[in-house]
Amino acid sequence: MSADRENVVAPPLERMIGVVLHAGVMASSACLTVGLVLALMYGEGGIAWVLLNAGVIVLLATPVARVIVSVVRYASDRDWTFTILTLIVLVELMASAAVALVFNKRL
Amino acid sequence: MPLVTPTLALIIFAAGAVSGSLGALLGLGGGVFLVPFLNLVMGFPFSVAAAISLTTVIATSSSVSASRAGQQLINMKLGMLLEVATAAGSFLGGVTAQLIAQSVLQKLFGIVSAVVALIMLTRLRRRNVILDPSVDPGVLGGRFYEQESGGIVTYRVKRLPVAIAASFVAGNVSSLLGIGGGIVKVPVLNAWCGVPLRAAAATSAFMIGVTATAGATIYYGRGQLEPALAAAAVLGVQLGSWGGMRFGAAASSKWLKILMAGLLFILSAVMFMRGGR
Repeated sequence: MSADRENVVAPPLERMIGVVLHAGVMASSACLTVGLVLALMYGEGGIAWVLLNAGVIVLLATPVARVIVSVVRYASDRDWTFTILTLIVLVELMASAAVALVFNKRL
Repeated sequence: MPLVTPTLALIIFAAGAVSGSLGALLGLGGGVFLVPFLNLVMGFPFSVAAAISLTTVIATSSSVSASRAGQQLINMKLGMLLEVATAAGSFLGGVTAQLIAQSVLQKLFGIVSAVVALIMLTRLRRRNVILDPSVDPGVLGGRFYEQESGGIVTYRVKRLPVAIAASFVAGNVSSLLGIGGGIVKVPVLNAWCGVPLRAAAATSAFMIGVTATAGATIYYGRGQLEPALAAAAVLGVQLGSWGGMRFGAAASSKWLKILMAGLLFILSAVMFMRGGR
């Protein structure tokens, strides 16, 4: 059984993605926690607003960062099929951000 | 947009914790429970509920996949291939959600959850796991160590076009309804494409971060995402899914499916009736 386990070793990409996701979750959770506490204590303006929005933006940026890491990794492995596939995903996410900017009611 | 008070933040935090733990147990993002709560119980507009839910879906996907990375349960290649379809569907869904009436979205939510519950129940006895480790999984297949059987599970991906089509639909309903889309992808990957339930759930959970981001970004730009409410929900879901994951490994696939189907039928009926008014 332990021999079976050893046959299934995690490839580097999976570990790199794990690190990126973990860092993103930690950073956004920290911003959101502090931002929420400050918003409840002093209202939603000022630093609370900045932290809450930073938390949301980091949250949204984490999967994008994961896709970028994958693109780079597949390209350096010369796995062109998956380089192109992950690039398409990245372009789709960028299109979504572009639409968000066009629709923007905040700025 | 509701003003954030400590009471409101606490309610949303608790709702997030409950849906997060249910979601983790079922291999979903939890949005399928959070959206009806925020829309029906709290009375938020559907788009506001969907936007909050999508942020929790992203957070769940990122944290669950971060802790699973290295276990080989996530089929990264299959996930990244199907993300091309989910992200496209999600992008289109995010745009159309801005043009559709709330009652239409509620009815759609009812239909989607009922259909998926039916699929789960009819496929309950299906076994599509190849326990022979010498089988070649191909480029898109996978193999992982399964604790339940104590062996290596190897599988090939069958009917790839079906998986791609389901992923597009999943991405589309994800943005439209504020859910991860796991309720669409997981049953299809499991029932028709030969992916074992646990691998299908892990791969789907991995994909929904990218899927939900394509939709959530549009809601955020539109000003429909209230960051303080999203913060309360995200932190609640994080706590809940952490708890659910501890318990989830012990639950069997069959009971997961039955529990999932039952909950979906109830939510479906309530949402559909609301949308009909």
